[in-house]
Amino acid sequence: MTNFAAYGVREIRDGIAAKDFSAREVAASCLANIAAADTEVHAFLEVSEALALGQADKIDAAISEGRLAECGILAGVPVAFKDNMNQLGTHTTCSSRMLAEYRSSYGATCVEKAIGAGAIPLGKLNMDEFAFGSSTETSYFGATRNPWDTGRVPGGSSGGSAAAVASAQACVTLGSDTGGSIRQPASFCGVVGVKPSYGVVSRYGVVGFASSLDQVGPLARTVEDAAFALNAISGLDLRDCMSKDTQTDFTARLAEGVSGMRVGIVPAFMEAPGLDGEVKAKVEEAAENLEKLGATFVEVDLPHAQAAMSAYYVLGPCEAFSNLARFDSVRYGYCDPGHADLGSQYEASRGKGFGMETCRRIMLGSYLLSAGVYDTYYYPAAQVRTLITHDYRQAFEKVACILAPVTPRTAFRFGEISDPTLMYLSDMFTVSVNIAGNGGMSLPVGLGADSGLPVGVQLISPQFKDENMIQAAAALESCYDHVRIAPGFAEGKAGAR
Amino acid sequence: MTQHLTEKDVRAIAQYVRIGLPEEEVGQLSIDLNNIIDSLKPITTYDLEGVEPTYHPIDGLSNVMREDAKGRSLTQEEALARASRQQDGCFVVPAILGGGDAS
Amino acid sequence: MKRLPEVLRDWEAVIGLEVHTELTTLNTKMFCGCALEFGAAPNSHTCPVCLGLPGALPVPNKAAIESIVLAGLATNCEIEKESMFYRKNYTYPDISSNFQITQGPVAFCMRGWMDLDVDGAAAHERVDLKEAREQGSYTTRIGITRIHMEEDAGKLNHVGSVDGRIAGATHSLVDYNRCSTPLIELVTEPDFRTPEEARLFMQKLRQIYLALGISDCSMEEGSLRCDGNISLRRRGEARLGTKTELKNMNSFKNLHDGLVYEICRQAEVLEEGGIIYQETRHWDPTARHTIMMRQKETADDYRYFPEPNLTPFVLSDDFIEGIRARLPELPDDKAKRFQADFGLSAYDVRHLVEQRSTADFFEACMEAAGGVGAGGGAVPGGAEGVKPLAKPLANLIINDVAGYLNANDGTDLADTALTPARAVELVRLLADGAVSSKQAKEVFAAILAEDKDPQAIVAERGMEQVSDTGAIEVVVEAVLAENPDKVAQYQGGKTGLMGFFVGQCMKAMGGQGNPKVINELLAKKLG
Repeated sequence: MTNFAAYGVREIRDGIAAKDFSAREVAASCLANIAAADTEVHAFLEVSEALALGQADKIDAAISEGRLAECGILAGVPVAFKDNMNQLGTHTTCSSRMLAEYRSSYGATCVEKAIGAGAIPLGKLNMDEFAFGSSTETSYFGATRNPWDTGRVPGGSSGGSAAAVASAQACVTLGSDTGGSIRQPASFCGVVGVKPSYGVVSRYGVVGFASSLDQVGPLARTVEDAAFALNAISGLDLRDCMSKDTQTDFTARLAEGVSGMRVGIVPAFMEAPGLDGEVKAKVEEAAENLEKLGATFVEVDLPHAQAAMSAYYVLGPCEAFSNLARFDSVRYGYCDPGHADLGSQYEASRGKGFGMETCRRIMLGSYLLSAGVYDTYYYPAAQVRTLITHDYRQAFEKVACILAPVTPRTAFRFGEISDPTLMYLSDMFTVSVNIAGNGGMSLPVGLGADSGLPVGVQLISPQFKDENMIQAAAALESCYDHVRIAPGFAEGKAGAR
Repeated sequence: MTQHLTEKDVRAIAQYVRIGLPEEEVGQLSIDLNNIIDSLKPITTYDLEGVEPTYHPIDGLSNVMREDAKGRSLTQEEALARASRQQDGCFVVPAILGGGDAS
Repeated sequence: MKRLPEVLRDWEAVIGLEVHTELTTLNTKMFCGCALEFGAAPNSHTCPVCLGLPGALPVPNKAAIESIVLAGLATNCEIEKESMFYRKNYTYPDISSNFQITQGPVAFCMRGWMDLDVDGAAAHERVDLKEAREQGSYTTRIGITRIHMEEDAGKLNHVGSVDGRIAGATHSLVDYNRCSTPLIELVTEPDFRTPEEARLFMQKLRQIYLALGISDCSMEEGSLRCDGNISLRRRGEARLGTKTELKNMNSFKNLHDGLVYEICRQAEVLEEGGIIYQETRHWDPTARHTIMMRQKETADDYRYFPEPNLTPFVLSDDFIEGIRARLPELPDDKAKRFQADFGLSAYDVRHLVEQRSTADFFEACMEAAGGVGAGGGAVPGGAEGVKPLAKPLANLIINDVAGYLNANDGTDLADTALTPARAVELVRLLADGAVSSKQAKEVFAAILAEDKDPQAIVAERGMEQVSDTGAIEVVVEAVLAENPDKVAQYQGGKTGLMGFFVGQCMKAMGGQGNPKVINELLAKKLG
């Protein structure tokens, strides 16, 4: 049985349009594959079989009636959504006991746009609880395993989204990125992960972690697939005040190359303590490849970037503390039974409904916003945000995009990092991008020389110039011919039964 | 490591954010929170005199509003569908002890 | 407990108000498209946004922003060009997301003021003001600190306790229909010194908001709510005393009475050597006292921070001037115009404009009488002709119409049988001496009860006043002939008997004689 989830967007769309195969065949093969393959990976929390087949039949009907134009740019493409995205007909659990039974009452804009563009929704994907984490280990429903080495984490928080693409269980997935949650798991799983500039994709319907940092983006195996998906989900949404109409075709410059493009490199990033040699080597190799393609490298300085981590761990928890206050057992969510007074119902429901990392972030945010403490941390963090934004703006006067590491090392083993402050270092190269609201993406550049595990490099673009990094990534991608699907998953597991 | 929070502080914060903490978790949580707060130190070391804060990452975006036009509401049944308890079309909470802030 | 005038001789009361007003005339809520509708089935006007469902995002209602700018301009506030929304975090089941979106240090409207004219008995409570002591009236300016935009909370109904109180309830029912109703909060400076000033401020603010059309301002239904902060200090002392916050003053009378009680209570505590605690107290209008709700040992820590989901606001001069152009005539301006155009007294115009409906009715009457053009200005030539009707019309409206509306709470003047044309006709009958003022009251009541024109009522009841000199003369002569002794006494200097003769004549004419003509004839005959 063919595993259509291993195909690219264009192959599927063209194949369906040419009636080489039907959308229903695509959907059925993907569903059968998930049933077999996901026992190893555990990327999916819910498989939406009826929704997938229903959508496939709609596409097929349109094709057979010659209404090809109506089918959209993701026609028949099997996709799946991170489980912090509301989708009618599914649960939205945020991988938390708090929302284990929660059913969406409306659809997130990004989800509805993807489906509106013809995508076949396969289901909902595992994540760190409420997106707090870098390993997907904090999921109430158990960790997702890295398809390249199931003894290792897939990264996080969009670990399910990265693992599903890497294991060919979906062609494209959507993730969300507050400090690196798309790019880091994409790097760990060897796939492309795009965090667009803040405002490119509507956040409406995506459960908020830190509202001024959160952004939705696609994960895929090729830059082109990610660009198609971004075209489908981006655009102005009147329900998100922060969404922008950028009027960008993210596929427009895929074939333009980088000849004459000025690309920045940040020496402080390359010399950062904790950056593994094999990762550094891959970034340097990528730089050489870009130079060979005609790009010019310019050293740029981000003098306040080292404050980005602390600014992020102030702003993120503060917003999260407030955003998660709504989970109080009254209107929805886990309600611990049998309490005679509301205070004890609140405390028991939230105490049992939230995992430890979630509790840590909520409590941290509450402390940092409290009277007297606010001026020591929150206000300076907001000021540092100005400085970091300014640093990037200055750098981007000289370069079209910046090449950087995504994360200091390759995927770690389960349980290997238990100290939260060490776990937080996973984000050291990614958070400044969210702080400034820029675009950032992870591009797989093969396997690390020591670990033999996937390594990604990060490309960073100015705000609302996401096409710059996509252009550079597409050119750089052509230098590598490594497989994007983890060994053993390409053919699908359904046939093996 | 500087002790920013005592275990008593941690219990008080937990109570404020309405999270019931098992007593055996307070010790480790205190250590974790103190470590994390310690790691935030760089933020306190910059000379930020005269630097304006940034609260929203899109520079110049302002005044986003909507027209005063009706949209779709949920039905009462839909609104209550996920509630732990309901009665007479309302959500139900057990006895409220202590005041709130109904302004 | 001492009474207020006595307390205020020794103590100065320092009062500030916080006034919450729901923008009930808008179509939708503050941050979502749910309808604003009072009295709907519980939780039938909610959506993911106002129910705080995960992932939903707020989008501000443009008309609400326009309304608050209108309110600011009408109360002499400076409109801040740059402001933001903040989150006020607190956990309580009436606020679905457990934070309220409100504003931070900078509100849309800052630093306004309102002047109050105080007269009557309450003016004497200001023993510190010379003009109040000497003239019995004074004008005082109340500072408005700010007006900020926020959202209302939902409603809680407590079950299983006495009178639906929270204390002793077994559980509470939550209705989020009201949650996220656009709310503007006006905070005054602590500039009030008497409960009457606070009452007048609220009354005037209500008139202004009604004139702006931004709220129905129903204190009973809670769309206009008011909390007071009260402290006392000895006359002559500069330092402020500890304040208490007073809630549940849901009528002008309750506001006044609650403040009076609280001032007197504090004075008693202080005079007995006691201490005032910073606490929230509740006015119980039935028991006529205030009761402690909760003590505030420390200031509440709401962990305010800028709302990340809403953009900042940058109001341009064009925007502000565009709103200014929409300002209607405000009650103060209207009062001035009535005074100038119709020669009415300050007292009359103040009471005419106290309610928009009576002011509008007065204007409609003047128009019906032919004196007012459509634009509101006096019509040349026609104005002088109807000007004499202004005073009796004002009297009719201030006394009879306002009295009727007060007695029939909630009645809309437009829904009654009293049209401006009928009011003018009635006043004309009175001015022409066709009916007596006592008969006019009867006609007024009949218009409302029977929905008929004044002329028809007068004719039907045969109550046309007799002004025919010949007919009256016959009666006058008969009365004088029947009472020769009284005539002699009158002529001997006991002029107080005139009333007796008038009364006898009126009695003989069944009350229908024109008193003016009777008086004239009697005076002539008695020489």
